Amino acid sequence: MRKPLILRAFSVAVTLTPLRSLPPSRCLFSTSASAATAAGGIVAVKKVTKSNFTSALEELRAQVRASDFVAVDLEMTGVTSAPWREAFEFDRSDVRYSKVKDSAEKFAVVQFGVCPFRWDDTKESFVAHPHNFYIFPRGELSIDGPCNEFHCQTTSINFLAKYQFDFNACIYEGISYLSRAQEAKALNGMSAETEGRLSNSMKSGTEPSEMPLVRTADVLFTERMKIRFHEWHNSIVNSQGVHCTEGGSNSFKSQFQTSFFKMRPAITLSGFSSRQHKLIQMVIRKNFDDLVYVCATGDNLEDQKKVVYAASKDDKVLLMEEIRNDLLNMSKEKLACAVGFRQVIDLLSSEDKLLVGHNCFLDFAHIYSKFIGPLPSSITEFASALHKTFAHIIDTRHLLKANPVIRQLIKKNSTSLSSAFSLLCPHISLASHNIRSASYSDVKVEVKADATGSNSGAKHEAGYDAFMTGCIFAQSCSHLGIDFKLPSASTKLAENPNLQNHINLLYPSWNCGVVINLQTGEEIMESSAQLFKWRYPKMIFDNTIILWGFSATIKPRELKECLCTAFGQDSITSIFYLDATAALVQFSKQELASDFLILKDSLERNDDAIRVLHPLSRLLDGGRTSAGSYEIYKKFCCSPISKPLIAEQAEAMGIRWETSAPQGFPGCSKGSDSRVQHLTSASVAKHSEGDVGPVRKDPHRISCEDILDSLYASHALVGR
Amino acid sequence: MRGSRHWGSVKQVTRSNFAEALQQIREHIRDADFIAVSSQKTGAAFPSSSSSASISPFPAAAAADASGHPWWHRVSPIDSLQTAYLKAKVAAERFEVLQFAICPFRLQGSKVVAYPYNFHLFPRDELNVGMPSYSFSCQTSFLSSMAREGFDFNLCIYDGLSYLSRVQESMAKHRNPVPKLHSITSMGTSVADTVFMERVKLRIEQWRNACRNSNPNEDALVRSLRKLMRGGDAYGSRPCLNIDVCNHRQVQLVAQVLRQSFGNLVPLITPDKGGELNVVKVVLTSSEEDRNLLLNEIQFLEEENEKKFRGFREVIDMISSSQKPVITYNALNDFTFIHSKFIGPLPSNMAEFMCSLRLVFPNIVDVNYLLREINPLRKANNIPAAMSYLRRQFFVPIEMEIPEQANNNTGKKHGHMALRITNLFAKLSLILKISPLDSRVTEKPGFISIENYANVFPPFCTVLRENEEEDVDDSTDDVRKVVTSNIVFLWGFGNVGSSGELKDRLRGSHAAFSEDFELAMVDKSCAVVVFWNPHSSQTLLRDIASGSSLGGPLSEMISDGLRVVGYVAYKKVCGIGLWETDLADSLEKSSFESDHNYHLDGGKETSEIYWNNELIINLNDL
Repeated sequence: MRKPLILRAFSVAVTLTPLRSLPPSRCLFSTSASAATAAGGIVAVKKVTKSNFTSALEELRAQVRASDFVAVDLEMTGVTSAPWREAFEFDRSDVRYSKVKDSAEKFAVVQFGVCPFRWDDTKESFVAHPHNFYIFPRGELSIDGPCNEFHCQTTSINFLAKYQFDFNACIYEGISYLSRAQEAKALNGMSAETEGRLSNSMKSGTEPSEMPLVRTADVLFTERMKIRFHEWHNSIVNSQGVHCTEGGSNSFKSQFQTSFFKMRPAITLSGFSSRQHKLIQMVIRKNFDDLVYVCATGDNLEDQKKVVYAASKDDKVLLMEEIRNDLLNMSKEKLACAVGFRQVIDLLSSEDKLLVGHNCFLDFAHIYSKFIGPLPSSITEFASALHKTFAHIIDTRHLLKANPVIRQLIKKNSTSLSSAFSLLCPHISLASHNIRSASYSDVKVEVKADATGSNSGAKHEAGYDAFMTGCIFAQSCSHLGIDFKLPSASTKLAENPNLQNHINLLYPSWNCGVVINLQTGEEIMESSAQLFKWRYPKMIFDNTIILWGFSATIKPRELKECLCTAFGQDSITSIFYLDATAALVQFSKQELASDFLILKDSLERNDDAIRVLHPLSRLLDGGRTSAGSYEIYKKFCCSPISKPLIAEQAEAMGIRWETSAPQGFPGCSKGSDSRVQHLTSASVAKHSEGDVGPVRKDPHRISCEDILDSLYASHALVGR
Repeated sequence: MRGSRHWGSVKQVTRSNFAEALQQIREHIRDADFIAVSSQKTGAAFPSSSSSASISPFPAAAAADASGHPWWHRVSPIDSLQTAYLKAKVAAERFEVLQFAICPFRLQGSKVVAYPYNFHLFPRDELNVGMPSYSFSCQTSFLSSMAREGFDFNLCIYDGLSYLSRVQESMAKHRNPVPKLHSITSMGTSVADTVFMERVKLRIEQWRNACRNSNPNEDALVRSLRKLMRGGDAYGSRPCLNIDVCNHRQVQLVAQVLRQSFGNLVPLITPDKGGELNVVKVVLTSSEEDRNLLLNEIQFLEEENEKKFRGFREVIDMISSSQKPVITYNALNDFTFIHSKFIGPLPSNMAEFMCSLRLVFPNIVDVNYLLREINPLRKANNIPAAMSYLRRQFFVPIEMEIPEQANNNTGKKHGHMALRITNLFAKLSLILKISPLDSRVTEKPGFISIENYANVFPPFCTVLRENEEEDVDDSTDDVRKVVTSNIVFLWGFGNVGSSGELKDRLRGSHAAFSEDFELAMVDKSCAVVVFWNPHSSQTLLRDIASGSSLGGPLSEMISDGLRVVGYVAYKKVCGIGLWETDLADSLEKSSFESDHNYHLDGGKETSEIYWNNELIINLNDL
């Protein structure tokens, strides 16, 4: 594993990364962790599942309406669906977005933390109501469910398990949802569906499939039914339905229960097999004009099959109309019910409150794709679509990084959620009797405990994380000079001038130093980007190619040597291994990149001595080495398919064995703004040791011998 | 034989009681005649075990939504064995196994003695090697149906057993090497070798003498200083010396030195993460006894490590090495999973798959196939239906005995599927007079060895449903064998309300359509047609290709975009893995793919599918 894999997308990533790369910060991490657990005993988080959703939603409505801002946080089943889809700091903007998009589309949200904060003048403190919603994309409607398949990243699931996530609560009790787009589609399809069900249940009109009566049992059964219904029919017609003579044998009584359906006499059929039902339908259709076979869906969702008497043709039409309306209303009700958790999102959107998240770009991508509609294909469109839904979003990570006052406080510490929380809000995170006496600037937060269904919050639980995010935000506001004690301060927090430098600015990825302005859709280099430590030279994408399918034994240094012998010492700027058999190679000049593709192509076409002697031959050994421009990498990232290795991905996508034609190499270089750094061989060597890690043998592409070897080994085992 | 009341309980196995269960199951497998297996997955290419939609073969033509799994990706009656395998392969690679039920049993006449186990699995990366799986998919319907059965997801994720496949294990070992004893091969030595050996010998001698002479009463500081000077190390409680080597030959040489001159030193080789040899550890033992002790210790460590790598697969290996017949229901589904999770990546075609599978499991019996033996063309698509059929047709009382396995069972009904398969198999084997592999009873006349039924996988069978209360529809539906060359796929016909409507439009539009044919919708945009006349499809395809002698209505439809292809195209789509949402899109794309990428192995060769009249469905039913 080259990088720690993480679930709480970015903030966690920031929490864990220093654990490996910067040992000194380890102690900070552990203190913050203990602080959070210490606080865990204090903060009561309301657990919301299917059973208490309706009541919780009503309470939440009032709380959100009264709130000054609402903090949100999500827990997902994973972040990256393949190692090569991880966010790299040098990713091009469109590639970066496609990675986020893929993540939001593939993985499910299992927990949703919502925490409204309201300033209480009398107490001079904030009142927070942390909620922890368990959600699960259960297909509750027969129509297209929220999603009928989702991905799980094994490490993320393990991570959730480490923090005691309750999977049973989620799958058994999780609240389902429909996005706005899905609801609209369902409404559209509903009338058609009702028609379908109606014709299905009534079997009126001409039914094409006539069942031939082959078996004697069928013939006997049909005859018996004919007689039975005749009896019943006559009894109604003769006595005008006041009461019917309870004739027939006893065994029939249990199967035919006389009842009423829509004020009409009816017989409820029970205990028949589906074939017998078909036969009954046929009997009714053939022999009785004024009887209708109806499949009524009762309140208990059990389908009840009835035969109903309709006095006249008009009455029959009326009956059908009534059933149609019933069905329509029922599916509307069902649909409203299926919207489920999205009502919370609708609430947040319609109340137009300031939303606060920590490193929340991925969170909002999830929110958009799960509850609004399919994600747009470009980040600009996404930004504007998101802005239309939620007008005011603040990323606390941006606050922490971009504001000099707070940066001073954080110093070099990690901007992860829990460490920022313990740094900025020690009065909350630690017990109140703290070494640091509550200073004037400390913003007090009081948690409003709910009598029922509250659990004490814990780190990496969405509700508690949302609470921490809100606390960090409140404290940061105070550092920014917002005095909540002044009556004007909290009235419209989103319009506070002190926040204008931060509002609607999100990081599209945790490690790229770029912010996206949701209002304009522009991506800007962060003003404090100089603080960002670049570990890799800036990519010039026109100079970059992707290579895949080479032998897993070729180490980065060897790859570089191989390319340098062919193209000259200074030809390679950087090499980045995506996995054991795929790498991004940046050439120093654009011509070299296209030269490479052409050379590779011609080498592959010649199968003579030149090829064997050529410096590139090692790279091309095996005949599976393929290459393409950076655009191909983007293509991989945009594909809905996700295979663990690039080589497998290419195969699954039908990009095979051949070099992808060099295209998109315009004559002029637009890399003028890019910081070009020529890597010394030393830094490439560093790649091979530090970042790439031990070159692992391709775990999936296995030669036939491997399989046979292991099988024969097992045979030997048997023989023993 | 209804309900699980008198079936006793299934032993539930997790990490906490795995070691103990392993001991028990080893014996039970050894004594068993047969082993029934069944597994619970997060998804499959076969319809979910309890989704209500699974009753009709193409449950919802509309159910191909953006994020979901389109219906044509699942195995359906239009699939031949090869295409069914390809679909099952894709599923086995995507989804995970969360429960694996194993039931070794003995069959004595009408008495069955069964020892059911249910293993909870989770693909945890125990060894930090990024295996067994980076990520996997879940179908919500599968999880929901597991939830309905009371599955404990927490238990599974927190405490489930992990595993590595055989192929993964060999790779993981390569990456995470453990110290190994060195086996010595004799070889000739050169002058340089002799010099090297002399140097090593000298060094070891010095070090050993220093070790021997060390005074136990020495001051701790002096001792550690001495140790520092010697450059020694410690292996457990024993002193050891690291000797740098740079290749395999030098390792051999060091070993040779030790064998020749030092009886009480044990060489240990630990390759680094890249699998390269850098150092030989030489461990000093005090006596012959101590040396043996150390060797045993190392052996034990190695075994422990192996166990850690294998995890749950240990049980699979046990079944494999027992060579006992394995009984399943829907073997294609279960064994694509077993192969991909516990053996290695799935081969690209059915033949290779069967070949590789036979090496590991020589006798696999699909209960479904046995059912067809009894009544070949009957639709017996679930265990309850099969049971009710058997009850009516045959009198085969089965006495199930499940010896109580000392275990605090939760009484949950997980893993009962394996028991149900056991029961069904017992009945069938009595009816078919199947004798176990190593018949302890002398071969009775009229009995057929199980081997005759082994390793035949029927391509399509709907998954067994857990719910026995489900209405047992035992209609004798027409299931007819159809040769795949009589099948064509149609798309580009615009919007049609139902298959009937499309059929009406096609009827009489060409000579092929003037005779009797069947038509069913695969999804909204694609239909499949079966001709009963063996030449119709060829004539149709040929006429369309040549463009001549086409009647009015059909040529009109073709100019409106109607496309017709043979079954070969469908095979090709599955073969190269063009899993688009709509089958029509895939077929369209495949017609652009140049043929040289895909060798139509058996373009001429035809296979069979089981055409079911139930397929003739109205779109409104969906």
